[in-house]
Amino acid sequence: MKKFSMLLACAAAFALPVVASAQDAAGTTKKESYRFVVVPKVVHPWFDKVNEGAQAAAAAIKAQTGSSVEVVYSAPQSADVVQQNQIIDSALATQPDGLALDLLDPSGNRASLEEAQNQNVPLVIFDSIPPEGMAIPYIGSDFCEQAKIAARRLVEVLGGEGEVAIMQGVPTAPNHSIRAECHRQVFAEHKGIKVVAEGIDNDSIETAQQQAAAIMQANPNLKGWVASDAAGPIGIGQAIVEAGKQGKVTLVGLDNLPEMLDMIRDGVADSSSASQPELQGYWSVMLLWAQATGAKVPGYLDTGNAFLTKENVGG
Amino acid sequence: MQTSPTQTSAVAHLARSPLAGVFIALAVIFTLSALISPYFLTPYNLSVIARGLAFVGLITIAQSMLMVLGELDLSLGVIGGLCGVISGILMVRLGFEPYSAMLLAILLGGCLGLLNGLLVTVLRLHSLVLTIGTAGIFGGANLVLTRGVAITGIPRDVHYLGRGDVLGVPVPFLIMLAALAFATFVMLKTPFGRYMYAIGNNQAGARMLGIKVDKIRLLVFGVAGAIAGLAGVLMVARLGTAQPSIGETWVLAPIAASVIGGVATTGGIGSPIGAIFGAGIIAIIENIIVLFGVSPYWQGIVSGAIVVLAISFDAISRRYLRRDA
Repeated sequence: MKKFSMLLACAAAFALPVVASAQDAAGTTKKESYRFVVVPKVVHPWFDKVNEGAQAAAAAIKAQTGSSVEVVYSAPQSADVVQQNQIIDSALATQPDGLALDLLDPSGNRASLEEAQNQNVPLVIFDSIPPEGMAIPYIGSDFCEQAKIAARRLVEVLGGEGEVAIMQGVPTAPNHSIRAECHRQVFAEHKGIKVVAEGIDNDSIETAQQQAAAIMQANPNLKGWVASDAAGPIGIGQAIVEAGKQGKVTLVGLDNLPEMLDMIRDGVADSSSASQPELQGYWSVMLLWAQATGAKVPGYLDTGNAFLTKENVGG
Repeated sequence: MQTSPTQTSAVAHLARSPLAGVFIALAVIFTLSALISPYFLTPYNLSVIARGLAFVGLITIAQSMLMVLGELDLSLGVIGGLCGVISGILMVRLGFEPYSAMLLAILLGGCLGLLNGLLVTVLRLHSLVLTIGTAGIFGGANLVLTRGVAITGIPRDVHYLGRGDVLGVPVPFLIMLAALAFATFVMLKTPFGRYMYAIGNNQAGARMLGIKVDKIRLLVFGVAGAIAGLAGVLMVARLGTAQPSIGETWVLAPIAASVIGGVATTGGIGSPIGAIFGAGIIAIIENIIVLFGVSPYWQGIVSGAIVVLAISFDAISRRYLRRDA
């Protein structure tokens, strides 16, 4: 009996390092294939760039590990939280290895996120923040800082004086309303700057163009524009060109859609403060993959903002 | 091959039913989806479809009742959204007991429906045109009240109505079934329902027969509004927040579902059951598009094509069944 106990003790002693190394082996779980689902807010060119980044990450993981990685991009046709939840719930039914989501409304998406957690599906949130009290890794850039970069640039170009206007995006979208508020904060710091009008474009280029045209008609002394969504500056730029005010009205845009870059190249827009959707998509997939391998991931990953001017947007 | 008299009678009965075509189309889409996707028939996925169907289904029931009368109410989705927001305000900001708040919001939905009905009947306005206007007013009121920001902090007591299930069947789906049973009973088994079909077929003729046409139209508008309000407050219970965007996508789908389900836009033909079958087809299409990972840019084409196929299949199968009978 004593011998048996000794053997057992020795076995346990030998097993300890093995157990310990197993515990240390976070991130070593490997699968032959992974399938991740990316659900953005809505069908939109900005999210196409997120998808491009996500697909690039899938290709990178495959090249480095040999595992096949499929990224399924499933976008709601309208920016409606009910429709988005329906897509999330249906995607969960396919038992994916991970879900990357841009939440339309964190509190409204909570029930679907809780269901995903109940099913142990790894989650990553990009371009938005998790619902209060839910520990989900999230990726994004500082929306307020992005807006402040644009507003400060406009103040600088105008020499701290003049009438300006702000184009809001979708009033119910938190990132759009944060940007609009941060524009206001910067302008309020400069006595010479007067915000004479605010438009709402509902993330539509056409609406932005109509609103901007009307606002410039009503405010002939308007000197500058900032926007709160990606569609806004493109519509504003069109309105500036149509009104023949290029060079008289300064536009500091937002984000890096191809039309925005063209307007910077053509001199319609001075510059743009851009979040980096490709990076958000890329790192969303990377964090999902890391979670699927059992690795720990950071709670927040900042992909930063880029300031785009004629000098750095390229030909 | 010879068929027995019982088989012949069953086929004849099926052929006579106006629901035969849409039911077969639904069954075919359901079967194909189950055969193609291994995920489709899982209990979780079926509950996802049922839960999604519940909310649009309620609006579809309301819309199909109005369509039988020859009316259309484009503000039903917006009424649902406004009632959801009002229930949230009553519960969270004004401290009302949650179930009382929901009930009041449903009553408000009924009142807004009555308002639509009153304007249609008294001012002799076209319901389609009028409700484009009232949808703007109700939607605007929603934005004024919320300023576009969701009302959070909905008491957890009511979440069960939106998120809970009974033996795996989502509660909102059961509520939708109850509403469907009520609407079907009223429309197919009561004089009131027969009057609705008479009005839809020939409003002037119905008046000559002594049917209180305007009273019935008014009442149906009111009931439709209340059902829309019910959908809105249930969605608040589902989300746990009162979203100003609730109901934005409940405009065209219920009309499409009703038409797919055999409800004539000119009135007098169809039933809520057919409309719900139509809504079921749309709900399954929305689900399988995600299960199959269809590109978002192809979704419109795919879902549109399936709807066209479903309607065609409905028409062809009806013709075939009639000939066989």
